[in-house]
Amino acid sequence: MILTVTLNPTLDKFYWVDHLPLSLERAEEEILIRARKSTASAGGKGINVSIFLACMGVETVAMGFLAGHTGQIILRDLLEKGVTANFVWIEGENRTNVTIIEKGREYHPVKIHEEGPRIPSHAQEIFLRKYRRMLKRAEYVVLAGAIPPGVPDTVYRELTQEAKEAGVKVVLHAGRRPLWEAVKVGPYFVKPDVREELMVGDMPVRTEGEIIAAGKRAVEYGCQACLISHHVTGDVLITPEGIWEYEAKVPLTKFKNLVGADDALVGGVLYRLARGDKLTEAVRFGMAAAVASAEVEPKMCLAPAAIEHEMRAVEVQFKEGL
Amino acid sequence: MKARDLMRRDLTSVEPDTLIYEVVYLMEQSGLSTLPVVDEEGKLVGIITEHDLIHAALPEYFDMLHSISFLPNLNQIQKRLKEMAFRPVSEYMKEVTSVHLDDEDLHIADLLIRKRLKQIPVVDGEGHLVGVIRRIDILSRLIR
Repeated sequence: MILTVTLNPTLDKFYWVDHLPLSLERAEEEILIRARKSTASAGGKGINVSIFLACMGVETVAMGFLAGHTGQIILRDLLEKGVTANFVWIEGENRTNVTIIEKGREYHPVKIHEEGPRIPSHAQEIFLRKYRRMLKRAEYVVLAGAIPPGVPDTVYRELTQEAKEAGVKVVLHAGRRPLWEAVKVGPYFVKPDVREELMVGDMPVRTEGEIIAAGKRAVEYGCQACLISHHVTGDVLITPEGIWEYEAKVPLTKFKNLVGADDALVGGVLYRLARGDKLTEAVRFGMAAAVASAEVEPKMCLAPAAIEHEMRAVEVQFKEGL
Repeated sequence: MKARDLMRRDLTSVEPDTLIYEVVYLMEQSGLSTLPVVDEEGKLVGIITEHDLIHAALPEYFDMLHSISFLPNLNQIQKRLKEMAFRPVSEYMKEVTSVHLDDEDLHIADLLIRKRLKQIPVVDGEGHLVGVIRRIDILSRLIR
């Protein structure tokens, strides 16, 4: 079983518009934007990974905090998609994240992310008890996404330590300080989220050289693999055995929705690792899942045949040994 | 159809040492009126329902009179509930009827009807809670 933790779940709302006016010609003018299509679905990085895995037939349990009417919608969507849900209920309302995608500018979406409800310390204690219980039945645990108000930045570090003590491999898919604090205790696989800041810990990751240096640091801390995005269609994998470059030969103009592609990547890697594939091949499948997801309007491509098809577009090159 | 195809994969539950006020809070926030009780291993050990809590808060002579209409107000029930608030679930939970992943729908429907249950937990071979089946889950399947 693959456990995923999403401490700050979201209802992801997407609007597709023909034109997105971002400035007003007249100060008194209001902007009315008519969406030609809209969708809403359960989201948050860990939840997206669970949805991907469940659709691939992998047993997965999603954990985190749910609240209010939005929480009920998130739960219902997860259950309908075959994900097992084990959440802590709190007062308030889960966040809603809005993405507006303009025709012709699909790879530059406009996003509005809410902060999410404050998590009381008592609810965090209940979560920890549930987490420890679920670790006994898990092979991998995915710690992913933003940290909600009230939860310390060191939470992924603590959850990683708990998982390692229970003999469960940790996949970390987050950004900024919560990521780096956890990297220091050696999770199995790290996929830094560098959307908001091209930094991993205190190291910039703008160039390939900087990416490799950051990945090597993660490996020195005990990580078995660190996969960092170089550009939209290129990632670098750093492991104790060496460095691989992945490149998806796909034109950006084919992309329709980039939100969720990174989560499909992590889901794809886990799907293949759980099947017993080699890490380098699993990452290749993950890249194909990300590309296939970016090429469809829904958040993720959940059709195995379409992902297999994209495998042909993903090139892997061994760069150097460590 | 088997239990695994009918069940909601929702593991919302409490533990034997969860306090009654926490159970009421969870029922209110989650909208669930029945909660499975699991041990530290996640194995099903009981069930607690809104009905159990209401019944425990009623005066002992309710069983004879079958009504609370003779009470001047709800103060007596409120007082009893406040006494219960910091007691553990283990004092109020009931033994639970459960089904296994491969049990057939006819068997499950029979249990729900015969035992007048609103929902029935589903366990795996080791007794871990893996889902629940509500009466409405069977009704909605049958009416399609």
